[in-house]
Amino acid sequence: MMTAKGNFFHIRHLNKLRWVVLSIVFLMLLLLPFIYLYQTYVAAHAYDLLPASEKQIYNVMEKLTSPFVSDPENQLDQIKGNTWSGTLFGLKLSDPLAVVSQAAASQKFYWPFILTGLIPLIFTLILGRFYCGWICPATFLYELNSNLAVLLNKMGIHSGNRRFDRRFKYLVLAVGVTLSAVAGAVLTAAIYPPAIVGREIYYGIAQGGYSHVVLGGFGAGAVFFFTTLLFDLFVSRRGFCRYLCPGGALYSLLGRYRVLRIQRVVEECNDCAKCNAVCEFGLDPLRDSFGQECNNCTACIAICPTDAFEFKFSVKDKVFQGPGHLGRSYRRGQEARLMSEPDE
Amino acid sequence: MKRRQFLADLIYGATVALTLPVQSVEARVNTTGIRYLRPPGALPEDQFKSQCIRCGQCGEICPNRCITYFGIANGMDVLDTPFIIPREQACILCMKCGDVCPSGAIQPIKRTFKEIVGKVRMGMARVDENLCLSYQGKTCGVCYRACQLQDVAIKVGMLEQPRVLESCVGCGLCERSCIQMPQAIRIIPDYGQQKEA
Repeated sequence: MMTAKGNFFHIRHLNKLRWVVLSIVFLMLLLLPFIYLYQTYVAAHAYDLLPASEKQIYNVMEKLTSPFVSDPENQLDQIKGNTWSGTLFGLKLSDPLAVVSQAAASQKFYWPFILTGLIPLIFTLILGRFYCGWICPATFLYELNSNLAVLLNKMGIHSGNRRFDRRFKYLVLAVGVTLSAVAGAVLTAAIYPPAIVGREIYYGIAQGGYSHVVLGGFGAGAVFFFTTLLFDLFVSRRGFCRYLCPGGALYSLLGRYRVLRIQRVVEECNDCAKCNAVCEFGLDPLRDSFGQECNNCTACIAICPTDAFEFKFSVKDKVFQGPGHLGRSYRRGQEARLMSEPDE
Repeated sequence: MKRRQFLADLIYGATVALTLPVQSVEARVNTTGIRYLRPPGALPEDQFKSQCIRCGQCGEICPNRCITYFGIANGMDVLDTPFIIPREQACILCMKCGDVCPSGAIQPIKRTFKEIVGKVRMGMARVDENLCLSYQGKTCGVCYRACQLQDVAIKVGMLEQPRVLESCVGCGLCERSCIQMPQAIRIIPDYGQQKEA
């Protein structure tokens, strides 16, 4: 068994890498509106007319970006948008849900846009619902929210942990896409947390009405998102992602036959069930049940005391392999078998 | 009495439903209750609503900060779609929003004179001669000087009296700059209806 200690590339550390990725995505979403503000100040050639707070934004952003760009007004246009749809150095990437919703709403295939969803689609077919665990800016907040729930529990305030039917989110997806088609408008954008988070951060920082006030422009989406946070906190842990998210539903469907999945090594498992406790999506890794919901977030790998999980190329989960070989119930079973063997 | 009230409501509803089709085009496509422009290169309004994915990139690239977004008060179908209120901040026709738009709701248009005059149609300026200072004998001409397409979209005559021409693209800089209060020149949006016809 390879121990995690001293091995930088051990898969136990993937969960930390995931947090790094989530943080980077979220920080980018925070940074981009400020970069945008800086660009507008540069475009206006009016540094001297700016109020002190905006001068500060200008100075900080100038320091941050000057090593990379010489013409901030145009060169900083290279990175725009959010995880719902973004532009990276000329490459446009979009959420598959955006593609599906737009096709439903406009009732036609606009190929330049559909192609922007291709790269995320390929990744999803290989890695499953990885977006939900590794990139989604709402996940960043939802997981912090889960940690807050733990904290509240320690303080004696009990958070909710109700369970509902996971299939409910497929209904949300179907209804959302159907309503988009009926209304002729992409309505799913209004109830999809990562789209909301990306948009509302930008609204909050750069769209304060016409008053140019930082953090003054939050819209209805922020209220909706805050409600989902409360739902997660007091009704059901990570409830929105598990039971309601239309994007999660689409990713789950696309990732049903994902190629890369986490599997339990029954020989190493000691039945401690920490993986079940830590799984944000309420799955059952202990009984080899990951299913299409698993987002390969690797939290179970990180918590496993005996390193009993591994990544395997397979389009199917293992069927339940029985209790872990390091666990008590397996040992008892072995003993019983040994006792009964001489008789046969 | 209740039944009578119900019947009255029914007749009223039917009348409204029947008269809807004869209302102006603008009243049918604009359900938000405000006069707004879509960004340059935007598709006709109903197509725009169905194709815009509400990602916010057009606003995030607009150097003039003229693009803002609808809130929930203006209806779910336009929620988070971009719009411009020219009196607040008008379009400088930089054409960056069309480049960045991934959904095709704002079509990319090259930033050349020919392309802009030929393809952009956000609306059309209209002068209120009762309000316009130049028409009231006080030489002004601010709208003409604000226009990016001088002598193509707008011309001035005697006493700088403005006259809007057919090539006006409706960017709104004239409305933004008008020194009268309320503004004597304003953009009448057509929401892409002209291009369709």
